Amino acid sequence: MSQSKQQVFRLNAGGRIDRSRTLSFTFNGQHYQGHPGDTLASALLANGVDIVNRSFKYSRPRGIVAAGAEEPNAIVQLGSSEAAQVPNVRATQQTLFNGLTARSTNGWPNVQRDLMGLFGKLGGQFMPPGFYYKTFMAPASMWLTYEKYIRKAAGLGRSPMEADPDSYDHFNQHCDVLVVGAGAAGLSAALAAARSGARVMLADEQEEVGGSLLDSRETLDGKSADQWVAQVLEELAEHENVTLLPRTTVNGYHDHNFVTLHERRTEHLGETASVINGHRPVRSRMHRVRAGQVILATGAHERPLVYAGNDVPGNLLAGAVSTYIRRYGVAPGRKLVLSTSNDYGYRAALDWKESGCEVVAIVDAREAPAGDWVDAARAQGIKIITGSAVIEAKGSNRVTAARVAKIDIEAFKVSGPVQELACDTIASSGGYSPVIHLASHTGARPTWRDDIIGFVPGLVKGVQACGGANGTYALGEVLAEGVEAGIKAAAATGHAAQAVNLPSVERLQQGPAVALFQVPHEKPTLRGPKQFVDLQNDVTAAGIELATREGFESIEHIKRYTAMGFGTDQGKLGNINGMAIAARSLRRSIPEVGTTVFRPNYTPVTFGAIVGRHCRDLFDPERYTALHQWHVERGAEFEDVGQWKRPWYYPQKVNGTTETMHEAVARECLAVREKVGILDASTLGKIDIQGPDAREFLARIYTNKWEKLAVGKCRYGLMCKDDGMVTDDGVTSCLAENHFLMTTTTGGAAAILEWLELWHQTEWPELDVYFSSVTDHWATMTITGPEARKLLAEITDIDLDRDSFKFMDWRSGKVAGVPARVFRISFTGELTFEINVQANYAMHVWQTLFKHGEKYGLTPYGTETMHVLRAEKGFIIVGQETDGSVTPEDLGMQWCVGYDKPFSWIGKRALTRSDTKRENRKQLVGLRPKDPKVVLEEGAQIVLDPKHAIPMPMVGHVTSSYYSPTLKSGFALAVVKGGLQKLGETVYLPMADGQTFEAEIVSTVFYDPKGERQNV
Amino acid sequence: MSNAATFDTRTDTAIPVESPLAYSYRHSGAPRAGSSSRLQLRERAMLGHLILRGGAIVLDEAVRDVLGISLPGQPQALVQDASGERSIQWLSPDEWLVIVPGGEEFPLETQLRERLGDAHFAISDVSGGQTLLELSGEAARELLMKTVVYDVHPSNFPVGKGVTTVFAKATTILRRPSEERWELVVRRSFADYCYRWLLDAAAEYDVNVQP
Repeated sequence: MSQSKQQVFRLNAGGRIDRSRTLSFTFNGQHYQGHPGDTLASALLANGVDIVNRSFKYSRPRGIVAAGAEEPNAIVQLGSSEAAQVPNVRATQQTLFNGLTARSTNGWPNVQRDLMGLFGKLGGQFMPPGFYYKTFMAPASMWLTYEKYIRKAAGLGRSPMEADPDSYDHFNQHCDVLVVGAGAAGLSAALAAARSGARVMLADEQEEVGGSLLDSRETLDGKSADQWVAQVLEELAEHENVTLLPRTTVNGYHDHNFVTLHERRTEHLGETASVINGHRPVRSRMHRVRAGQVILATGAHERPLVYAGNDVPGNLLAGAVSTYIRRYGVAPGRKLVLSTSNDYGYRAALDWKESGCEVVAIVDAREAPAGDWVDAARAQGIKIITGSAVIEAKGSNRVTAARVAKIDIEAFKVSGPVQELACDTIASSGGYSPVIHLASHTGARPTWRDDIIGFVPGLVKGVQACGGANGTYALGEVLAEGVEAGIKAAAATGHAAQAVNLPSVERLQQGPAVALFQVPHEKPTLRGPKQFVDLQNDVTAAGIELATREGFESIEHIKRYTAMGFGTDQGKLGNINGMAIAARSLRRSIPEVGTTVFRPNYTPVTFGAIVGRHCRDLFDPERYTALHQWHVERGAEFEDVGQWKRPWYYPQKVNGTTETMHEAVARECLAVREKVGILDASTLGKIDIQGPDAREFLARIYTNKWEKLAVGKCRYGLMCKDDGMVTDDGVTSCLAENHFLMTTTTGGAAAILEWLELWHQTEWPELDVYFSSVTDHWATMTITGPEARKLLAEITDIDLDRDSFKFMDWRSGKVAGVPARVFRISFTGELTFEINVQANYAMHVWQTLFKHGEKYGLTPYGTETMHVLRAEKGFIIVGQETDGSVTPEDLGMQWCVGYDKPFSWIGKRALTRSDTKRENRKQLVGLRPKDPKVVLEEGAQIVLDPKHAIPMPMVGHVTSSYYSPTLKSGFALAVVKGGLQKLGETVYLPMADGQTFEAEIVSTVFYDPKGERQNV
Repeated sequence: MSNAATFDTRTDTAIPVESPLAYSYRHSGAPRAGSSSRLQLRERAMLGHLILRGGAIVLDEAVRDVLGISLPGQPQALVQDASGERSIQWLSPDEWLVIVPGGEEFPLETQLRERLGDAHFAISDVSGGQTLLELSGEAARELLMKTVVYDVHPSNFPVGKGVTTVFAKATTILRRPSEERWELVVRRSFADYCYRWLLDAAAEYDVNVQP
């Protein structure tokens, strides 16, 4: 057919399209017209566009085969601008809108004259199954290089390179009964469930609700089926508890009836959503549904027959032919040959004939077909050739003829002479395959049923299948099954059934179908013309046969070797045929071969819908302290600590240039050591502990002793997991005899609260103690440095005298007029006061400190400076010096372990194991590089002999390393095997670039070893 | 008294305070909408929030005597006084959230402690650590469906219910004090994230914010 801009294949009447309005669209640069109600596929067929794509591997021209989600060929890239690009859309599922712009996913320079097709991609003829594995897997290191080119040639769509202007979101839904699919089964199930009062959700993937009823030849109560659909929808709309979701694909079925639905809200209207009242409505919405019961009314996909040349444009599914004629008013050709194994296929020929086109012949694989539709075809004078099949389609860019012959299915051979029938369209029907994908997502294996020649879903608790999905195809039975499923599901969720009067349906006589999958050819499969099984992945019957010959017997292996059922297709059309061919080759039955597992998602989902609103600045929570505004205004750079944004350092502008991090940190460090600095320490976890057994509880959870900590005093505590490894640390203060305030690391706060609750609730419920998080209630401002006392004295009524308010004491009073608890604890080694006020007052107190602090040189410092200052003092950071394999003893913190405490605290027993007691454990030491300018790399490995042959024995690694402006030298903390015995020894750090650094093992305390400065 | 340290963190002088959303109003604004608004968002800042822990039998009488309302007898229940200004919400089998007008929390704690004497219980003031957001308008339930995983259908979430649930990628306490209103209790450090999320998700409802 030539490409025409007239809709030459549009029928004059019929279909659910609006001929009074015309829509323009562009496909591969050509302009066409269609009507409201069209899909892109039906509009392309109306315009006589035969070739819609080039195939994946062999680059063969391909046309539209199906009318729904199972379409393997018409995969297009949508979008008229870069930002609007959408890949891998099935033309059969894309509603036509004015201005729609689409391109074929494959084909270069275009689908009509494809250069790749001359040779096949990457030499397609020479690409047997397993080609990728055989050719590209070695050497393994080259795979990344190959992959780039293979992906390019593989030809699925491409993602946009510009930001998506649309927005997306998620809905959390809950219902009693989720009905998947709104065809005959789904509608009757939803109706039955809704009448019981249950909360019902009904989702249907199509533009219009009704499924096969929209193009059915059958009547309900003597009226056309779509009238019944309209009547049911009307009633469902009146039920307050029914949510009807059209254009919504149920894409994933997860455990415990958690189901993900993808609703396309504006994709049928335009490529990006139009702004309404200043807001752009969401383009797609993901419904995250927790359903009490799920009813799968997903229908069935017609199975094509596998014959030679079955991929030439003009080969369609029989049911698709009917759908295009009856629903879209398009006859996708002029002269039809139908090849069928069952009665249902006859409907295509009847519809074709009624649309005024020529039916050349019906070729039926059965010797003596009999049934109402067969009779109807005979009555119409259509020629029926029995015991035969189309064994080959002729033509290259469009079918020109069908080669028809008698076949012997049992012997798998052509058993009579071949005749050639001129035609432009071949429709085939090999029966139906229930759509079992969703049930398969749970891992439930489907069950083969000989009577329906197909797999039905293997079901799990809370799920029922009905209608086509359950292998039931006769309309009357489908409706009854739907009602039964609806009543059962409602009852299971506690809702009593109400009567549903089913419409009366004509009873049709049908003859039995015959099991035919691959049609024999005169030549053996391996030598004959290609017979395609999976059109999207270019898998042929010969490919499957070859795979079995090469020893692949498991269907899962055959799948991976041939690529059958891969990708966005997920084996919708081809899988059952492929299994049947594998079964024949392996001389097994189909149930013995089994199916592969269908995976979510059923059809491709746009990333936007998966991401929803969790993107850009809402990607992850950012936790702020009460002083965040100040930090931002001061120009702080921020560091992520868990989800907190903590000031990292505060670069200043000096003579018009902004300080580097190194410069800022050096300035901040010196300010603390020489004057006074201030840190926002609000992020530290704070847990309020109350109860008469609080002290006992602390003694069990911490490694050190708490027995004698007096009211008004603070103590550093170390926490181990039950394996004896350090897990958290912090200062805990005694507020009253039965009342303590624990601080934890910033990142550990939530986990430690859970840890305390766990031990209290499961092991020591007899202890009277309660825990509550007060992290967010308090803002904590740490002022530290020699001038800290003078500064604080200006704005507090607390007596700061060194003898009455000692190091490791806390006092309460007012600071800047605000009630405050002040703790004299230090993480810098300097004189320090930690001021805690209710967070709503924090900004006032902080600003007041700055008002008074200028004359003392008050300098805000961030986490980087905090790290340098604490490392100079040898103070550990849990998670930096520790990694879950470090004991208190490894850290040299025996002083913080109460070995003789009366109750066995967490970790005690583990610390007596031979492994935790052995001599050469990695121990925390200080490292001083021989060259003071060197700042060792954190994570660098330490060796004793740099001349040792590679691999060198590694004895430890650097855990923290900084430049100290105070020491005017680089310095580091490290863990080294037996390190505490090696003080004064030299170790080596070979780097990736070939340099080797030398360092001396020293004490972990680099500054003020006697701790005098914090006690002043 | 239970030998715990009480501490009135409020001051009666005219010292400026900042609600957990102060930063957010400056950075994300507080959109005003006309009568077409389908969603109203109001912060009830500076209220008194106490976490009460203890056995229900231990606490119930004291709470009734001091606060005039009884402890919720059922899990996930919310009880309010006649004015709706004071409430107690069940959080876990031995944990309740008490919300009272700002400044009442310290006298309340003191009275409860006196009344409870040597019984085993705990009261923690968390007034600075969280804020209360009120949602109303016809789109409130739909906004919540976008935001929390919990089922907010009236059959599952009647007036007088309260739960702790997932809010986007954070957590929240969600409660329903009346037919028209929903309340979210969010933690101070997550408040900006929650606020930005609500503004974004409610844009299509023409959200109106009352700081």
